[in-house]
Amino acid sequence: MPNSSQSPAPEAQAHEPRVVAFLCKWCSSAGSDLAGVSRIQYSANATPITIPCTGSMSPLYVLSAFNKGADGVLVSGCHPGDCHYMEGNYLARRKLYLVKQLLQFVGLEAERFRMSWVSAAEGAKFAEVIDEFVGDLRPLGPQTRLKAKH
Amino acid sequence: MSKRTGVFVCHCGKNIAATVDVKKVARELAKDDGVVFCEDYVYMCSDPGQGAVIDAIKENDLDGMVISCCSPTLHEKTFRDASELGGLSGFRCEIANIREQCSWVHKDPDEATDKAIKISRAAVRRVQRNEPLDPIGVPVTRRALVVGGGIAGIQTALDLADAGLDVILVEKQSTIGGNMLKLSETFPTLDCSQCILSPKMVAVSKNPRIRLLTESEVESVSGFVGNFRVRIKKKAQYVDPELCKLCDDCSQVCPVAVPNEYDEGLTNRRAIFIPFAQAIPASFTLDEAACLGLKPVVCGKCEEVCEAGAIDFDKRPTVFEEEVGAIVVATGYDLYGMDKLGEYGAGRYADVLDGLQFERLCSASGATEGHILRPSDHKVPKEIVFIQCSGSRDPENHCAWCSKICCMYTAKHATLYKHHVPDGQAYVFYIDIRSGGKGYEEFVQRSMEKDGVIYLRGRVSRVYEQGGKLRVLGVDTLSGRNVEIAADMVVLAQAMEPSKGTAEIAKTLKIGLGKDGFLAEAHPKLKPVESVTAGIYLAGAAQGPKDIPETVAQASAAASKVIALLSKEELHHSPTVAKVRDPYCTGCAMCVDACPYEAIGLVGGKAAVNEVLCQGCGSCVGVCVRAAIDVKNVSQLQIHEMISAVLAA
Amino acid sequence: MVNVDALRGYAADLLEKGQVRAVIGYRRGTAGVLAQPCTIDEAGEAETLVWDPTCLNNLARYLVEDRQQQAAAQTRNKTPDGRPVAIVAKGCDSRAVAVLLQENYLKREDVVIIGVSCEGSGVIDPRKLAARPEGRWASRVDFAGADAFKVTVGGDETLIPARDLLADRCLECRAAAPALNDVLFGEVVTERGLDEPFRAVKAAQGATEDARWATWEHHFDRCLRCFACRAVCPMCYCPECVVDSTTFVNTPGTTAEEKATRIRWCERSASVSESALYHLTRAIHLAGRCIDCGECERVCPVNIPLRLLNTKLEMEAFEQFQYEAGRDFGQASLLSSFRDEDPNSFIR
Repeated sequence: MPNSSQSPAPEAQAHEPRVVAFLCKWCSSAGSDLAGVSRIQYSANATPITIPCTGSMSPLYVLSAFNKGADGVLVSGCHPGDCHYMEGNYLARRKLYLVKQLLQFVGLEAERFRMSWVSAAEGAKFAEVIDEFVGDLRPLGPQTRLKAKH
Repeated sequence: MSKRTGVFVCHCGKNIAATVDVKKVARELAKDDGVVFCEDYVYMCSDPGQGAVIDAIKENDLDGMVISCCSPTLHEKTFRDASELGGLSGFRCEIANIREQCSWVHKDPDEATDKAIKISRAAVRRVQRNEPLDPIGVPVTRRALVVGGGIAGIQTALDLADAGLDVILVEKQSTIGGNMLKLSETFPTLDCSQCILSPKMVAVSKNPRIRLLTESEVESVSGFVGNFRVRIKKKAQYVDPELCKLCDDCSQVCPVAVPNEYDEGLTNRRAIFIPFAQAIPASFTLDEAACLGLKPVVCGKCEEVCEAGAIDFDKRPTVFEEEVGAIVVATGYDLYGMDKLGEYGAGRYADVLDGLQFERLCSASGATEGHILRPSDHKVPKEIVFIQCSGSRDPENHCAWCSKICCMYTAKHATLYKHHVPDGQAYVFYIDIRSGGKGYEEFVQRSMEKDGVIYLRGRVSRVYEQGGKLRVLGVDTLSGRNVEIAADMVVLAQAMEPSKGTAEIAKTLKIGLGKDGFLAEAHPKLKPVESVTAGIYLAGAAQGPKDIPETVAQASAAASKVIALLSKEELHHSPTVAKVRDPYCTGCAMCVDACPYEAIGLVGGKAAVNEVLCQGCGSCVGVCVRAAIDVKNVSQLQIHEMISAVLAA
Repeated sequence: MVNVDALRGYAADLLEKGQVRAVIGYRRGTAGVLAQPCTIDEAGEAETLVWDPTCLNNLARYLVEDRQQQAAAQTRNKTPDGRPVAIVAKGCDSRAVAVLLQENYLKREDVVIIGVSCEGSGVIDPRKLAARPEGRWASRVDFAGADAFKVTVGGDETLIPARDLLADRCLECRAAAPALNDVLFGEVVTERGLDEPFRAVKAAQGATEDARWATWEHHFDRCLRCFACRAVCPMCYCPECVVDSTTFVNTPGTTAEEKATRIRWCERSASVSESALYHLTRAIHLAGRCIDCGECERVCPVNIPLRLLNTKLEMEAFEQFQYEAGRDFGQASLLSSFRDEDPNSFIR
């Protein structure tokens, strides 16, 4: 439902964004479970990879996903103060802020990398985050800038 | 590396199969490198489903297993146990969540099937590099710490001691009993609060297994489940409880008068005083902030008159270090500050009281010995207004939450008022009446019908003083009319908020807080008494507003969790901990700084992980520029493989 | 003014008394105008030390090399000479030493820092010098106050405005004297009338997204993956570069399994995507560690403006997190610390 009405008919064959969503196990992955339990429909473009904590995100995961052809990369974790491991999301926030700044600096489209806080109780927000992200990526078309050509 | 991986794709009846083409998922996964067995099945979690896992492992000599099914929070343990029964390490079994994260949230079968394949394929690539780990065993200290000596802490301590465990009960105030000790009667039975609480307090003081530390606070905590090390600071004990004979000579000569916090500021007390006759420890205590005698030339009268020689101004605070295996946090609640409700005249007019002040007025141990009199002129109030939801359910201005007990205690207050002042009139402003609980609704009905309490559904806009009366302006939404009452007294059913210091203790103990500041439980439904940190449990109103029976129930629940934990010979700790790749480590210690658990140190110039302290969060992985540290079974290589799998054309 | 004779005397004294094992400094180069790095271990050689605006190299890199040699000696069961090494350090070099200390790569007692002030000026960009008619034949460049360099061509001396010759990073430098030192030659100059810090980065990020990508795609496309940037960087001391499989460390304990499971984040082909991955990873791995000595950019054979990537992140670190690499070797590193008030508005 969220997607079908967005693309105008002439571009029906438009590129479907491929998103890698790194979700922390305790909040955002649990939030996506809640979206499931609540049967909230959202775009199927994002494939989740569950990690213990956003603090464990290596910047290389983001760069590698773009290198392997991701059109968008999402990192989602616990709200500040809610990290299961107390501090991991704060470390992630600082580090991924810099990653985002760097990617924008070299001219990767700013929309392609996104971070969100989604708690275990925010199933609806999880669905919104994915739909918004995919909606913002769709007009950009395929990500060619950092994608490997081989 | 696993070379013989098996995959099962669960239909979950129609839950998965209605959207995801499970046969196609199985067909596609069968093509993956290293996958030697791939089947779909209608209910993997059923007994035959688990049996199929066991058989498949044995018959195909599998060294890795992926179950594509529901969320790992549900059946990861089921299938890991089944794998073990099949002779495969449980850590060589991973779940691909194709239900909550796929079939339930997508409608298009092609899209959902495609995504299910990606999720499953990523899990295959991950499991192929999983190590077969063994749980890490750690010894257990069979002693518990209870923080907070209100009814929650008291009940927990008694239950633990009853089970034969040693307990350290730490209380910030000079007596245990908490807020319950201040209450007059309790709803819905109207039994005397102190009468039902004091036997438990005495039981605490007499129990040889309970070491009671009043005027004490937890300074720091290190260690982990089964093996915490806590530093406790106890304030200077100027009055020796062993020597104090409770003769009261000291307070008779004390020249200082300060508001009595145990009487909610309605009366004054001396600098040397006893909070309640029933105080435990049964001893006078000296308030060092108010006392003049700590500056010896100024005073010292109490020391002179104390025949028992119980007073010593030279006492200093002491700090203890204790080892405990588990901690229960029961730090209770405070009422929402009256200063924040200026619109109700709170803090401005002496006869606008909060719920606890009204309790003290009603209480036989209070200043008026149970007579309801106006603080301003000691007259009996003939018209009294109770305002419910004062600070509660008001996300714009105050607290968003329902404080849960106020409907009931307001009904109780109104009833008690009528018992004391039979010719008086009580009004209650309310938004809703929430009276879920055994005998609760009946109690509220009785207050209306038998005691003639007038309930007005609506909010109060303003309270102001005029001609010796408190004029309460409100609206009765049922009749649609504005209401103005000339009251003699107004009682605000203040919202409950976490007690002062809750945020601090949460930080000290490294447990989480919810958005509202109450302590966060590990799972809102299934782990209501566990904190997010293993070995630390929650009891009472510090976790969320609750009444006495609920508090006692949660306290006993927390105690039984601790008893179960500490009854084990040895605890098992997840082995998915960090592992240093020695040749690459340069000893820069960024991981040491990043680790929230102080689980990493430098040994011989290289990072070394204390596997018992490590919780496997991977903060170290995220900061290491040399990729010299990994979390077992979620290594960077595995993530790399998963990224590749997810993005494969 | 830095008294070079005093500097030489100090170095000679250290060696004479055996207080240090060697002194890392600069001497007159054998080809062209530029000074070159040298390591001297005898007091008599101290006479050859120089300090002038052509002392471009970040000598902290040689501390890294020295430590690697010491470690190698140890593995050959030789007892290493435990005495410290002295290093002649400009502002940026001393910040690099501070980062190495912060990261426990060196111990404070293992290094004697002979600080030299850049006299409120800095070092030259040889490309800028060569671009001038007189520059190609210059035999000497000397400091002439904060605003000019004295360039000697044959027998003639000309004053050239400092701004025309200074290396870009020196134009933006905020601390042209070593804060961390055991002895300091020359004055600490805090007032600088040159470019504002991070000017080049701010200019670069003012371009449109497409223009920025066009620029960087061009640069990444030209990268040869010669790794000179990494080789010269004092912070690139990892035993194995995570994005270059050519540096994989194999020890006797390295199993075949381990060899097979090295992650290839990046292919070795010099294509835009792989070079981008390499440079972006390097930039993020230098966040909070790059002290802006500009060496990576100076040695790049195809003139990729690599400094921009690093200073972009140092600018963010400074402006958002009030963090400066090499300011204090006791501070927790940029990425292993955080504050409640760190930027949050970029997160949904």
